[in-house]
Amino acid sequence: MNRLIRRVVPFSAPVRAAVLSIAFSLLISVPVLLFVYHQTDNLFEQRIRSGIDDRERDLLFGYRSGRIPGLVGEIEEEIDTGTVRNGAVLLADKSGRKIAGNVEGWPEELRAGEDWIEMPLYPVRSSQSVPYALRTVQLPSGYKLLLGTSVEDREHMRASLVEALVGALLLAIPLGLVAGFILLRVTERQASAVGKVAARIAAGDFTHRLDEQAEGEEFALIASAINRMLERIEELVEQLRLVTDSLAHDLRSPLTRMRANIESAANYASAEPEQYALEAISTDIDRLLRMISATLEIGRAEAGVGREQFSEFNLAELLGDICEMYQPVVEERGLSIVVEGEEDLAYFGNRQLIGRALANLADNALNYGAAGGAITLSCVDRGEEVELVVSDRGTGIPADLRADAVRKYRRLEPARTTEGSGLGLALVRAVARLHGGEIILEDNAPGLKVRMVLRR
Amino acid sequence: MSAKILVVEDDETTADYIVGGLEQNGFVVDRALNGRDGLFHATDGKYAAIVLDRMLPGMDGLSVLSAIRAAGIQTPVIVLSALGAIDERVKGLNAGSDDYLTKPFAFSELLARIEALQRRGPATAQSVKTRLSCADLHMDLLTRRVERGGSRVDLQPREFRLLEMLLRNQGKVVTRTMMLEEVWDYHFDPGTNVIDVHISRLRKKIDEGSDPPLLHTVRGAGYMLSERA
Repeated sequence: MNRLIRRVVPFSAPVRAAVLSIAFSLLISVPVLLFVYHQTDNLFEQRIRSGIDDRERDLLFGYRSGRIPGLVGEIEEEIDTGTVRNGAVLLADKSGRKIAGNVEGWPEELRAGEDWIEMPLYPVRSSQSVPYALRTVQLPSGYKLLLGTSVEDREHMRASLVEALVGALLLAIPLGLVAGFILLRVTERQASAVGKVAARIAAGDFTHRLDEQAEGEEFALIASAINRMLERIEELVEQLRLVTDSLAHDLRSPLTRMRANIESAANYASAEPEQYALEAISTDIDRLLRMISATLEIGRAEAGVGREQFSEFNLAELLGDICEMYQPVVEERGLSIVVEGEEDLAYFGNRQLIGRALANLADNALNYGAAGGAITLSCVDRGEEVELVVSDRGTGIPADLRADAVRKYRRLEPARTTEGSGLGLALVRAVARLHGGEIILEDNAPGLKVRMVLRR
Repeated sequence: MSAKILVVEDDETTADYIVGGLEQNGFVVDRALNGRDGLFHATDGKYAAIVLDRMLPGMDGLSVLSAIRAAGIQTPVIVLSALGAIDERVKGLNAGSDDYLTKPFAFSELLARIEALQRRGPATAQSVKTRLSCADLHMDLLTRRVERGGSRVDLQPREFRLLEMLLRNQGKVVTRTMMLEEVWDYHFDPGTNVIDVHISRLRKKIDEGSDPPLLHTVRGAGYMLSERA
């Protein structure tokens, strides 16, 4: 049924409601008005018919008792007393000439012996034609009698019924619109309630729930189903966190011991080659540990952990810090690093994570943007959003590889010669998402421009 | 007199590693294998510092820490944890720890931090110091003037704070992460070794053309400011 309605009225639910409501009011009012019309019309005709019946009886009575002069007397009396105020009466001879009555002459096309015929006539002293219902009688002597009643009233009635119909239509449209509007508001409110919670969840905050009592019963059904689903999701995320934390503990502890043993072995090792070998192992373990911790951190940011550490801080200052931190190492490689954009940009978020994300971007720019030129850090206030941009003048990332670049463990050169875990941009994205945002990779012509959009 | 350290750690190998290292460096060490014992020792004895694992059987490390602080014991505590995520660190610091160290760590890192915490000791005595010196290097904290051998050294604000930190810890190792935490207030490890370059700039400013060199690299650990090489 619903699908059928949707196919017939392919608009949004509120518009559908408005159209349907208008259609329903017409569906009800039109037959009612037609019925009223039909009934009134019948009643009208009956009244006219019986009026004509009465007058015919009276006139024929006059004819029977006094022949033509008696009939003429009756006709004149009828006219004089005004009993046929809306009526027409005519006695005509064989050729149609008027003998008595208030109609000028016998209409040419009119035969005698009609029981009910409607046609316009010109009453005496009137230039306007008026619709009449007529009855004609053939008298034995060749004379013809015409009896009529104006049906102008019926025309009026018809007109007013049409007006009523139009009125009903005009009333149905605003009523339909009001109904549609009310439904629109309700739907919007419900949709935005669900949307808000969904956005929070998408941003990793699993504690939010819909108010099941806020709207009507049908909404409560949806709300409680969604809330049950959210509880399940929260449970799973919590489990995931426990598992990753335990895994972190279990993986890192043996690695720590390994590193400790290598450290002491390096102390005892007398020969330099041995020391170098042990140092190389140590470096690899460090890299492994960094990868584990980056993976865990990404997982945690994706799960919304870190939200409780949100605080107000100055993003522009943070950019300045990162710039200052990287300046010596950037200059050492013959590049430069500058900060542009707002000088004061308050933001509520996780300073440590955003700082780490920016450091990752600066690192990337340093390692992959080595072709030369400036690394630019900037921030832009967009009202609802703030944007942190890190751009370099290096080789950039081809457009078709950009989506790949932000995935975990993806590094763009297949040989994996450059040091790095392939987790840098993935972490940046996770941090942006924790703040309800996203990262966008663009061509800096030449170089790479990473835009980190954060919601306020 | 050697300082007493309490190590609360359930993993025996890690505990051996820590205890062995500390004893080699002249500390007297008590060890506890679970939270309850740890709390018992902490409330009982006088320790120079407590090394507390975050994940412990029986009683969680942070609960032990809260209980220690609730009992009015102000012994410096370093929390050790595999939960390296930044927010976990803040939780630990909020619970009353003085420092937070993520596993895995080099022993030198732990040692440097324990020594730094001990020195912090009675905080009031140090905070009134307005002048720091090492050999012919002098720093005036009020005028923010730095001199080496009588001639003025111009430092960037961040270099000033780095040098101040090294001066306060002179003769002891200051690790890169300690610098990153104290001077920049960042609790993560930037991939590129940005700290080393800052230090080499600082070294150029204070050591170039002067004798003896004061800023030393301690291999595999960090940096140290000292008269002796």
